[in-house]
Amino acid sequence: MSLKDMRRSRLGFLRALVIAGRSGRVTRRYPYEEPLVTSDFRGKIDIDETKCIGCGACVNACPPNALELINTRDGYISLRYFVGRCIFCWRCIDVCPTGAIKGTREFELATDDISDLYDIIVHEPNRCRECGKLFSTKRMGDYVVTKSPLVENYVDLDPDCRRNRFLKAIENRFGGRVG
Amino acid sequence: MGKPKFLGKSIWVFHLNTGSCNGCDIEVLDVLTPYHDAERFGVKLVVSPRHADAALLTGPITLESLPKVLRAIEAMPRPRIIIALGSCACGGNIWHSSYSVIGGVPELLKILKERGIEVDGVYYVPGCPVRPESIVYAVGLIKGLVPKKIKPKVKKVGR
Repeated sequence: MSLKDMRRSRLGFLRALVIAGRSGRVTRRYPYEEPLVTSDFRGKIDIDETKCIGCGACVNACPPNALELINTRDGYISLRYFVGRCIFCWRCIDVCPTGAIKGTREFELATDDISDLYDIIVHEPNRCRECGKLFSTKRMGDYVVTKSPLVENYVDLDPDCRRNRFLKAIENRFGGRVG
Repeated sequence: MGKPKFLGKSIWVFHLNTGSCNGCDIEVLDVLTPYHDAERFGVKLVVSPRHADAALLTGPITLESLPKVLRAIEAMPRPRIIIALGSCACGGNIWHSSYSVIGGVPELLKILKERGIEVDGVYYVPGCPVRPESIVYAVGLIKGLVPKKIKPKVKKVGR
């Protein structure tokens, strides 16, 4: 290689430097700077446990069953949110009757322990005043009463007892046992 | 589970699509572009599991791909980790109870335990599909550059 060729190749390298200098640095410094999150980005949902009534509307709306209602052995009903299965469609936010579910822009969800991905809200169940069976949640009973005060006299009866009461009322009207 | 020491160094990754829709796979390519350059952390995709430190699994692990996944993980040298990328790999997504998938890495771990194949760590990266920043954050978490942000929440509420 002659001296002239070497000079030319050196110059060629300089030309590449000039082009690179003009376009600048494109790489984001992301873990050390703020991420680019737009206002319509959908991230993890946040369930407000002071507002949730445990009605299960979000459970019905959730396409991948990331939200589930679970009956525990002692009769408690818990709403379990598993972020690992969530597809961030935010349908639960649309259907929540009390507005307990809020969307966040949170996306930094990586973890080495799967139990970090669970959010659980344990609801206290309603107890039937006649047979003592556990059903529904206390909060949902309160919510139904605020929406329609008429139900107040049978809101703390479980579905079976309500049916029996209705049948008994019909019997009384017809003056004896029916059927 | 203590963090393995070797994770502070350059992680070589073997990417395996186990029935993914390609959404997460495209984001993996996205992370390797100059914009979110994951190679500045020493992360590199390798073509053989024998060169890899981590198995990057995308998809809900179909029954058809399960033997291949097991063989790939068996072939990796011993300190080895699994990275579950996307909602499918983390929990099965909308296919979690489908007949032809096993339902993500939590189920895979049971099978690995049954067969006596050991792994030294599992990392979960939820998202559908995963954001490139989310993957870069996961790389930072694995290397110990950023703190873990997500916490489990258990709340008991009365009336």
